[in-house]
Amino acid sequence: MIDLRLDRVSKKYRIRQETEIDGTRHGPIHKLRRLWRQSHEFWALRDVTFEVERGEALGIIGHNGAGKSTILKLLANITTPSSGEITINGHLSALIEVGSGFHPELTGRENIYLSGSILGMSRGEITRKLESIVEFAGISEFIDTPVKRYSSGMYVRLGFSIAAHLEPDILLLDEVLAVGDAAFQTKCLKRIKQLERAGTTIVFISHDLYSVKRLCDRVLLLDRGRIIASGDPGEVIKTYRHTSRITESKSDNGLSFPNPNPDPGLQFEVEQVDVLDREGRLKHELRTGDYVRFRIVWRAKEYLEDGGVELGIYSENEVPLIRYSNQPISGFDIAFKPGLNAVDLEFQQFPLAAGEYHLSVGLSRPMIAWLHRNDNFAAFSVSQGKIFKGEYLLDSDYSVMAVPHRWSQDIEQLEGNS
Amino acid sequence: MSENISTEELNDPAPRQQKVIRRISFSPLRLFADLTELIQYRDLIVTLSVHRLRVRYKQSLLGVSWALLQPLSLMVIYTLIFSRVAKMPSDNLPYTVFAFAGLLPWIYFQSVLVNATNSLVSHSNLITKVYFPREILPLTYVIAALFDFLIASTILIAMMLYYRVPLTPNVFYAFPVVVVLTLFACSMAFLLSASQVWFRDIGVAVPLLLQIWLFATPVVYPLSAISALPRKVQSIYILNPMVGIIEDFRRVVVRGMPPDFYLFNISALVAIAILPVAYIYFKRAVATAADII
Repeated sequence: MIDLRLDRVSKKYRIRQETEIDGTRHGPIHKLRRLWRQSHEFWALRDVTFEVERGEALGIIGHNGAGKSTILKLLANITTPSSGEITINGHLSALIEVGSGFHPELTGRENIYLSGSILGMSRGEITRKLESIVEFAGISEFIDTPVKRYSSGMYVRLGFSIAAHLEPDILLLDEVLAVGDAAFQTKCLKRIKQLERAGTTIVFISHDLYSVKRLCDRVLLLDRGRIIASGDPGEVIKTYRHTSRITESKSDNGLSFPNPNPDPGLQFEVEQVDVLDREGRLKHELRTGDYVRFRIVWRAKEYLEDGGVELGIYSENEVPLIRYSNQPISGFDIAFKPGLNAVDLEFQQFPLAAGEYHLSVGLSRPMIAWLHRNDNFAAFSVSQGKIFKGEYLLDSDYSVMAVPHRWSQDIEQLEGNS
Repeated sequence: MSENISTEELNDPAPRQQKVIRRISFSPLRLFADLTELIQYRDLIVTLSVHRLRVRYKQSLLGVSWALLQPLSLMVIYTLIFSRVAKMPSDNLPYTVFAFAGLLPWIYFQSVLVNATNSLVSHSNLITKVYFPREILPLTYVIAALFDFLIASTILIAMMLYYRVPLTPNVFYAFPVVVVLTLFACSMAFLLSASQVWFRDIGVAVPLLLQIWLFATPVVYPLSAISALPRKVQSIYILNPMVGIIEDFRRVVVRGMPPDFYLFNISALVAIAILPVAYIYFKRAVATAADII
């Protein structure tokens, strides 16, 4: 049974570029004509057609600007397509952008009713689920205080908790797994799995390739508004890696990775990742056991008091081997200043064996929301390095981790040894 | 929807509601589907209206009395200007009662227009994140204004008692008059709020529009005063639906007369004809509002 069908759906936006027009010399007609010509059309989606079966979990991936958020908005009926049809069988709820609809003067309880009814729950339903919502969000002491007094963490947890108590036929998910601490995220994942087991159809639109691989039965790859691949998650993700043409930087300077899909419209965006040595110079080769500094350079259009920067290194099988962020993982505070920012992530002895790896980057408001993510930022290889004393040089096919260790033998430990 | 029904669907214990999203058009057939959907969201309409009222009265010092202050203060000002200074005739009524009876429905209309115009833009955070029938936003302002109207009407009753103005059974005609007023106010709310999304200067023009409209309607002067105008102008004048509404409200409530059916019919016709047009325009204009709001 088909729960969701997109039939030749296209979406066009008109982008207007404003340029300086000499006001004195030209009359109003001339100005209007100039303005019209400046605007051009941008097709966010082109002839997109696919179906989702009942109970299926479909993932949609693609780099920024491929059309993922447009599909999200269309499925949630926040906007309408320029052509084509979307057929939805059942009630669809989107677990995205939480905390919308909250009014700061009202208490948590009042906002649960307000937000819940905006999301489509009846008053009776909300009353029934009230206790569970409060408990899930972990704010029982503050339920009767105005939400303007909540910390931003409490705010998003409450918003997410309300949305998590929806029982839709079809669930629409995006990068929500940035909300809250590890315990909260586990709760959310459990809830999503619960819905999945109950037969809820799921559409997961995300950058997080690892989660997509784990949660989804099938994956679609979007590129510039069209579906270019569809099928088994592992296969499609591999196609994504290859089509992105992420190759090692051929620059003679060394290992330097610029953003492969820059989007100047973003408020916050990672621009470059450089691989540096102890003196701060670009490395030409990264070997197992090397001292290395990953310098992440990003652009911020506004000041952000507590910002999160994440760097991830994945194996070819999408396993996140190293995925650290200054916050909330490592406990190092960074403030984002307007303009370019940089931070170094340092490893005294790079712990990965020789092999091919992918780099991911992310900027966030720690435990609240992702600001920029790119799981397909760069590909690089690590070459063999002599880190251990034995003859056999480590290779990631054999053992990925190259961690300092020690063998020792104490004969006295064995009982009954003469 | 050309697929054949499968056996699965035949055995489906809980057949699901189907929704089709496509590029919005002017089809009147959608009207029925839209209204059905609106009824499904009735819980939200109630919740948002209650919320709007609660927030307004929670935040303000004067609270409920704000609903009374506006018509009262305007009445005082207009009495001073038009009755004391200009010696305006007032249909054989004390000018204060005359003015208040006209101001009451006018302020209802005015507050709908002023508040509803920006209702979509001010809730852009909701519109870009969640789906619900967008007309609910301007409608909650209509409901809030109606609530204020009902509260302020208690003052009118009090004034009528004080000035010994008799209440006749004709007052029950006030009900259809207020219904027509509400329908017309809804149409204006739809037209203005949808236009404001695309042309932000609408919001600036509305207070000016209302100021002119006020004097083109017999609120502070009696309808009889327009007989001084040439006939051609008079016939255009009464096309203003607010003319029939205000005049008839005053006639049935404080003058104890039956309504002027000719004027009422004009107002009702205009209101009923505009409403579906305004609604369809609203739905069309707002379908892609999230793209530019």
